Amino acid sequence: MTQVPIAAKSPKPVARRRSSLLRALKANSGFLFVLPALIIFVVFGLYTVIYSIVLSFFRWNGFGKFSILPLACEPPACQFAGLDNFAYFLYKEPTMSRFFWQALQHNIIMAIFVTAGTVLVALPLAISLNRAARGQSMYRLLIMLPMVTAGIAVYYVWMFIYEPDGLLNSALGAAGLNFLQAKQGWLGQADRALISLMIVMIWAAVPIATILYLAGLQTIEKELYEAAVIDGASVWQQLWRITWPLLLPVTVVVIITSINSVLQGYEMVYLMTYGGPAAHTEVVGLQIFKYGFGDQRQLGMASAMSWALFVLVFAVALVNLRLLRTRTEP
Amino acid sequence: MDKARSAIAIVLSYIVLTAYAVLSVYPFLWMVSSALKSNQEVLGSRSLIPQEVRFDIIVNTWNQLDFFRYFVNSVLVSVLVVSGIILVYSMAGFGFARTKFVGNRVLFICFLGLLFVPGVTVLVPLVQLLRALGLIGRDAGQGATYFGLIMPIVNGAGPFSIFLFKNYFASLPSELHDAARVDGASQWGVYWRIYMPLSTPVIATVGILNFIGTWNAFIWPSIVLNNPDWFTLPLKLKDLDLQIVIQWNVRMAGSLIMVIPVIVVFLFLQRYYIRGLTAGAVKA
Repeated sequence: MTQVPIAAKSPKPVARRRSSLLRALKANSGFLFVLPALIIFVVFGLYTVIYSIVLSFFRWNGFGKFSILPLACEPPACQFAGLDNFAYFLYKEPTMSRFFWQALQHNIIMAIFVTAGTVLVALPLAISLNRAARGQSMYRLLIMLPMVTAGIAVYYVWMFIYEPDGLLNSALGAAGLNFLQAKQGWLGQADRALISLMIVMIWAAVPIATILYLAGLQTIEKELYEAAVIDGASVWQQLWRITWPLLLPVTVVVIITSINSVLQGYEMVYLMTYGGPAAHTEVVGLQIFKYGFGDQRQLGMASAMSWALFVLVFAVALVNLRLLRTRTEP
Repeated sequence: MDKARSAIAIVLSYIVLTAYAVLSVYPFLWMVSSALKSNQEVLGSRSLIPQEVRFDIIVNTWNQLDFFRYFVNSVLVSVLVVSGIILVYSMAGFGFARTKFVGNRVLFICFLGLLFVPGVTVLVPLVQLLRALGLIGRDAGQGATYFGLIMPIVNGAGPFSIFLFKNYFASLPSELHDAARVDGASQWGVYWRIYMPLSTPVIATVGILNFIGTWNAFIWPSIVLNNPDWFTLPLKLKDLDLQIVIQWNVRMAGSLIMVIPVIVVFLFLQRYYIRGLTAGAVKA
């Protein structure tokens, strides 16, 4: 009895193997949909990431040859440096490390205040939008405009607003608040430059956050508020006990994207202040850029510093995701 | 009492909305108004309404600075980037959401991992890669350089686009997929004939996000494009800084030229965009 299947199996093992291979291929044919994305990912993503990791252990000024496949690095332009790059900007080299920590400090200040500012502006806006039955789509459009027009064109407008004889100073003058004016311009003055940049960042980040909050609000059932009113809850209690907790997942998304973009971003700083005045708006991304493309190139240093930034970005994201999970799952 | 309270709440809402709408739109209004003024008036007057409307400034900016060329360059780059992203990552999103293959989940996570790698990290390696491939440098033509410019932008948009497409496709009823398969449609047929036509919101979202990003992109194009004739609008606009005296009205006219196309695209697609964005993110 048991011999039957064996006998049946023996005649055409090759064909059988081929057909099972065919079946395996067919079962996995969905992979083909992912293939183009994967090829682009391997060439322009994975390869460059690995290159950057390898490069962070070398000292290279950009001249001569450096390649990772095969590993080629010709002294004196390029030398193996071990962990030197990391040590230098973290503590060993006084000027370099001072600049790095200062830039990181600016990043952290921005991450905190821009994120908090975005939430504090976007949430009331979204609640107001949700209440405003009439004109909602018009207001929504006006509020979304900054998102669309971000970039150098709008930075120019803000630069004019911040000029010594620009719009902000004259508005303050007209309001009789002369003592608040920045005589050398808002971007030119060490004590104002960072906050001026943060205002533009919040202005640019509010639209998306508002739209996300609005979508979140529209999923909350009205009965919850009606029940709360019957129980005698005040407006504040409703806000604090119903709206805020139910919107927490949205808040986490807003916080993650905001911190992420503030820690990684440097284009706006590049265009508006280039880190000035006197490094008072320097951020880590911009420093990495300057090591990579500035006057005195230290490409290994640029890579090493950018991996420090990665660790920070990743850690923040993990903490946020953990918070989301513990808060939303009872 | 309750009615009075809710009436106050609504009035308050409109006050908040109006106040913020002014803040939100004011820089843009100022841009428009300054593009229509003489430079002296831009510097001297604080009124949004020009004393004399000067359309010639926009026209001159467009003509003398040869903005048409840079406008075409910008359109070319943005359209290629956006269509590449939509095609490649809608396919990938469909693959991840609706087909089974070994390593599906692991690959998806690999893609998402790229989200956390700061863009600036790979700038130096990318330049080296493009140089090694002969895509940038003295001998590279415009086509090669644009390819080198575009591909990393496409790749950078990958993780988030895949994420949005995958979520959206997964939200469509799977019966669609199964029924079509029973009727003999191929996987490709299901993707192209059934899923894609149903996906306007997510296509609009991914399209707008990346159109805005590419249209406004400054740093990466400024690294890659070494021939001024190939510049995109932001680079040309930045070039105006090289003038000895800043002509604010010319600057604003250039800015306006750069901003208008994005606004037009956005006005057409905003309805879908909001739906697609919130569907993807709120679900996440």
